[in-house]
Amino acid sequence: MSVSDATTAVTAELAARDDMIVCEGVNKWFGDFQALDGISAVIKEREVVVVLGPSGSGKSTWIRCINRLEVHQEGRIVVDGVELTNDLRNIEKIRSEVGMVFQQFNLFPHLTVLDNITLAPIWVRKKPKRETEELARSLLERVGIPEQAEKYPGQLSGGQQQRVAIARALAMEPRIMLFDEPTSALDPEMIKEVLDVMKELATSGMTMMVVTHEMGFAREVADRVIFMEDGQIVETGTPEHFFTSPEEERTRLFLSQIL
Amino acid sequence: MSNTDQATLAATQARRPPFYRDATVLKWLAQVVALLLVLFTLFFLATQAQGNLEEKKIATGFDFLGTALGSDLGSGIDTDPHTSGRALLSGAVNTIRLAIGGIIAATILGVLVGVGRLSSNWVVKRMCSVFVETMRNIPLLVQIILIFVVIASLPRVEAVGEPIHGWLHLSNKGVSIPRVHISDGFYQWLVFLLIGALVGRWVMRRRLRLHDDTGRETYPVLSFAAVLGAFAAVGWFAHPIFGWVGAIFGLVADIIDSLSQTVVQAVISALAVAAAVWWIRRFLARRRTPAGLTKLTDDDRFRIIFAAAGSAVVIVVAVTVPSLSSVLLDLAGGRGIDWLRFDNGFFGWLSEKFGNGRTGAPIDVKRPDIEQLGNFPNYGPSGLNLTQGLAAVYFGVVLYTAGFIAEIVRGGILAVPKGQTEAAQAVGLRRVTMLRRVILPQAFRVILPPLGNQYLNLTKNTSLAIAIGYTDIVQVGQTVYNQTGKTLEVVAIWMLFYLACSLTISVVVNFFNVRMKIVER
Amino acid sequence: MGLPMDPVAANVDAVEPWAGEAEPAQKPEEPSLSARQWVRQNLFSTPFNSVLTVVFGLFSLLVARGLLNFTFSEEREWDAVRTNLRLLFTHAYPEEQYIRIWVCVGTIVVLAGLSVGLLAGRGRGVSMKKLSLNLIGVGSAVALGVVLREPSVLKDADGEVLRDDDGVLRESFAAAMADRWAWWLAAAVLVGAGAALWHLLGDERRRKTFVPSVEMFVALVGLLVASAWVYPWGHYAFADGEFIAEPGRTVAMTTKLPWTVMWVLLIAAIATGRQLRRAGAGGGVRVALNLAWLLSPFVLYWVVLRDPALDWGRVATVDIPLAVLFAVGGAAVLWLLTDPRIGELGRIIATGLVGVAAFNWVAAFFGWYSMLQKVRLSFLLLALAALLAHNFAGERAQRLRLLGGWAAVTAVFHYMATIMNTPSTVETPTEALIGGFAVTVIVAVFTLLFSFPLGVLLALARTSKLPIFRVLATSFIEVIRGVPLITILIFCAVILKLFLPDGMSISLIAAATLGYTFFSAAYLAENVRGGLQSIRRGQFEASDAVGLTGVQRTVFIVLPQALRVSIPPLVGQMIATFKETSLLAIIGIFDLLRMANSVIPAQTQFLGVKREGLLFVCLVYWIFAYSMSKHSQRLEKKLGVGER
Repeated sequence: MSVSDATTAVTAELAARDDMIVCEGVNKWFGDFQALDGISAVIKEREVVVVLGPSGSGKSTWIRCINRLEVHQEGRIVVDGVELTNDLRNIEKIRSEVGMVFQQFNLFPHLTVLDNITLAPIWVRKKPKRETEELARSLLERVGIPEQAEKYPGQLSGGQQQRVAIARALAMEPRIMLFDEPTSALDPEMIKEVLDVMKELATSGMTMMVVTHEMGFAREVADRVIFMEDGQIVETGTPEHFFTSPEEERTRLFLSQIL
Repeated sequence: MSNTDQATLAATQARRPPFYRDATVLKWLAQVVALLLVLFTLFFLATQAQGNLEEKKIATGFDFLGTALGSDLGSGIDTDPHTSGRALLSGAVNTIRLAIGGIIAATILGVLVGVGRLSSNWVVKRMCSVFVETMRNIPLLVQIILIFVVIASLPRVEAVGEPIHGWLHLSNKGVSIPRVHISDGFYQWLVFLLIGALVGRWVMRRRLRLHDDTGRETYPVLSFAAVLGAFAAVGWFAHPIFGWVGAIFGLVADIIDSLSQTVVQAVISALAVAAAVWWIRRFLARRRTPAGLTKLTDDDRFRIIFAAAGSAVVIVVAVTVPSLSSVLLDLAGGRGIDWLRFDNGFFGWLSEKFGNGRTGAPIDVKRPDIEQLGNFPNYGPSGLNLTQGLAAVYFGVVLYTAGFIAEIVRGGILAVPKGQTEAAQAVGLRRVTMLRRVILPQAFRVILPPLGNQYLNLTKNTSLAIAIGYTDIVQVGQTVYNQTGKTLEVVAIWMLFYLACSLTISVVVNFFNVRMKIVER
Repeated sequence: MGLPMDPVAANVDAVEPWAGEAEPAQKPEEPSLSARQWVRQNLFSTPFNSVLTVVFGLFSLLVARGLLNFTFSEEREWDAVRTNLRLLFTHAYPEEQYIRIWVCVGTIVVLAGLSVGLLAGRGRGVSMKKLSLNLIGVGSAVALGVVLREPSVLKDADGEVLRDDDGVLRESFAAAMADRWAWWLAAAVLVGAGAALWHLLGDERRRKTFVPSVEMFVALVGLLVASAWVYPWGHYAFADGEFIAEPGRTVAMTTKLPWTVMWVLLIAAIATGRQLRRAGAGGGVRVALNLAWLLSPFVLYWVVLRDPALDWGRVATVDIPLAVLFAVGGAAVLWLLTDPRIGELGRIIATGLVGVAAFNWVAAFFGWYSMLQKVRLSFLLLALAALLAHNFAGERAQRLRLLGGWAAVTAVFHYMATIMNTPSTVETPTEALIGGFAVTVIVAVFTLLFSFPLGVLLALARTSKLPIFRVLATSFIEVIRGVPLITILIFCAVILKLFLPDGMSISLIAAATLGYTFFSAAYLAENVRGGLQSIRRGQFEASDAVGLTGVQRTVFIVLPQALRVSIPPLVGQMIATFKETSLLAIIGIFDLLRMANSVIPAQTQFLGVKREGLLFVCLVYWIFAYSMSKHSQRLEKKLGVGER
């Protein structure tokens, strides 16, 4: 699963060793509507990047292009040295390298929490069942709900479900985690428990890309903030720079509206 | 964005993966292989059939439609058909009659029973439940045969058991009631009705506007009915003045007759090309963005290729089978098709029906009578006769389908949220008004799609007539292939006929469905 | 076509069956009303309601009277049914081999009992209130029937009906009522028992006490079985003898012992099932039981009923080596292909295998080389397994389990293929092995077994993103749904022969089952499609995001959810298929309906006697269809589908 693995390093030479995600001139349209307009960015290993922007600015579309839930139409995306193309081998590789957490949790309602977590490691990573279950229990411990393993997702609260979703993504031992508005569907009192898990993850050195509206999280945890509008990257910078002295007019307008 | 980002990727180009790893190529490869497999299987089966038929010295083709058939039909528009084609047509008409009559009766009965199951009266509720559970849980075929057998145990024709002599006969030969039928001047009268409806609509609109402006009660529907009634009454006597309408249709028929089949082939081909071009253009238009045409993916290219190939197939068929075009011409124009005994084509038939010299009453009534040709008395042709077989199939499908429709109606009414009833009561609507204006329109939207399915089922179920020998299209078809050995062709005709019926019902139901949706929003 | 009529589940969000795993609470019945209150409220609440009650009450009495007089008229010859019970249920299956039929019934009874025992404990059964009301209701109905039925006819010493000029002579009303004392007694016992229950328990207790439905069902069956020891149900018929009924031998006499054994088996199986459940037997037992259910139709029909005469020499030299070859060779191939490191090479090998499998048929078409059909099918099976193998690859234990599964499938397939190609030793005078109700059940069961996978595949193809698959599936489904079943059956029975290559033949029943399978699959596909479309997009995205392949996504995530939602319509389709088996009579198979409609009326003793048989057929179909539909309604409630 490392870059040096000879059978999977397809386009490793394209990017520097510590570039985890490289996007270059990425364009995407939905019919007449251009969702992404020339996105170019690099995310380094162990970096935590928060993507901000008004709704409809293309944040989610971009993050979903990175593990090919959406297919970009122009430009190039290289993830962990593997370029996203029609190549089945690359898609397989990237899907198992990149974990994703959704706004609506998207847990599998007919499987127990434990089965939700172990399904992919067993069938995609081809790991022994016993080992995977131990891993799953330790992950549940890590996200703070070890006692819920045998329950069904429908029996858990929203915050607990989202933490299970994070554990499910982590069980694949990904090198990158993508968060698509992980707290937007939660009641206010549950947001904190999810954010705490994410903070812990960030401090452990995971490469993370987070779409969120939680300014506090961005300020506290992010290494870099990217602001998007109308499918374009308007401004990027460190949180201090971004929240205290933004350069662009549009950024200032956005910040004045939400803060 | 640092400059180093640009430098790392710009130096190289994305490599195309080998085809066996390319998601798009594999996707289409799998599909094309599946298509080829299906085509090969069909081709294989066809060759086998051809070989087997040749071995048995059975020729294929539809020529048998024009040859004589050696048997009579029990009932229908033509009980003594000269050709197989005519016999099949007669059977098809029987099926359509059964279906239309059955749909009307089953709907009425089904709605009554369905509403009855929701009644607060215990007796009514129980009776309706028993009816539904009995009808739904006994196979239709068993019911039809049982009804057939029970009718056979009714008294004989000449004996007692004719409740109202000359008006209603009930016997082991079935039921006979007076026949209301289209007579001489019907079509000219139809023109009157059409004009009456148009004028009536205009009057109704005016009255409605008057009502909206002044708030006075203006009886718009009543005035529409009055105008239509007046036109109908005048037309009853004055209809011969529209004798000239036929000449117009005659002219159209002549024009169509003068066309050659090449023209039809050209029209079909042009339509196919136009359809493909329209589809591809629409497809490309959707892919167009303000910034110009998006790069076409391989998927898009494959789709365009298949659209083009489809139209090419249509053109090839049209060109290589010229008889198809000439049949179409004959059917539309004034020549008609011999074996159908459809002597004039469609417009020829219209020109005759609307033609001059038809002065009789538009509609006539005949009372049933009993005639004795041989040893056994039977109903004469003048009454509307529900023969034993027809009655069995008819009552069978009506009762059976009514059981299902009742459940659909009940479900539909229950599906209207309780809040709607409460809201209607809160604004002070009376019970009847509430049902008519609030509950039923909403229930109708839920009911309509499954109701359409039941209509389809009813139409298909009339084919069970074969079990008791009533001459619907399946039974006639069986007679035909037993005599001619043309099983394949007969089955093809069945399938086409029933698919056409299904399509018609779907289109009608869809029409109402769309209307209901527009009303809703 | 049919676009507006899709049974697509509209209420996507209403269904969350997994949330409702807990057992429904023992909800007591509503408090009882007094008889007067009940009558006022339900029959005479308004003047209009009173009129309705009177009019429809009289009407229903009239209908009931007509039905009773028709059913029990002196013109009815119920002997026709009583004498031909064996014909109606199994047609010409030889009597000395009847033990085979009992083995089949016993197997099904045991499996059903085990399943019921394992699942029992759900639901609350019947409340005492309902039970006593039902008893009173049935008793009153019996009494009403006794009054409504017209007095019996008078007969002379020879059993001839006495007539005068006006028609048949009947006894007086009083005499008739007196003659029916046994019926009065039955009515009195039923009403009395009901009323006693009602009054003894009191409102509170009768509403809150429940009788478990399993126990009640077992008790009812026990009563029926016991009745066979007391009352001589049915006669036996000579096939070609002078007497249609063998004097002294009754159906009850020869079946009372077997039925009693069945009843005991049922009780034992239910008890065993419950014991297993209490002992905490989990997935393993259930899987084994489901497998037994799945295999039982094949084994019971081809092995038990047919009693094939195996040619052991050929079995030892051809069949067993072939099976071993495929089991071992296939296992080796699959071992290779389930290696997680194999990558595209595996897909290329699998595709090559598919090519070989397809080429075998092409070669057969052109006659290049000959091959057993069994071998061609085995190659196809292997190719399919190879295509899917990489989806189920895993660590060593998982791979070994997969190989075990392959060996088991190969063994079963080769065993069944060998058995099916072996002639039967059971000799019957007809072409078919068995007829009557048995053939109805057999065709229905096999139709269900074959049409389910086909229907699911069609539904998947129809909802697929790949346009050619979609077009192929849609055209198949819509063409089949657009034409009547009878035309498909005639096609299969009459024309299918023409399409078969030389030397291949298909029996009428097999052809009919094929027709039913196509028809049923098209409808099933629409039901499953409804379930598939109710799955939210997020489920697909989540499966993709964790890296599941398309096949894994379908098998692990999509189908379990979709099938659960579509269970009620699937059961409905099952009932429809069961009823449609009556069409077998039209294409000349001796099923239940054909027995009643053509065979019995052709016997010299019962010439033209049809109505009795047809009424009996109605009753049989009604009992089965009604109980299935009631069961599905309960299931629907349990799953919470369709609730608003």
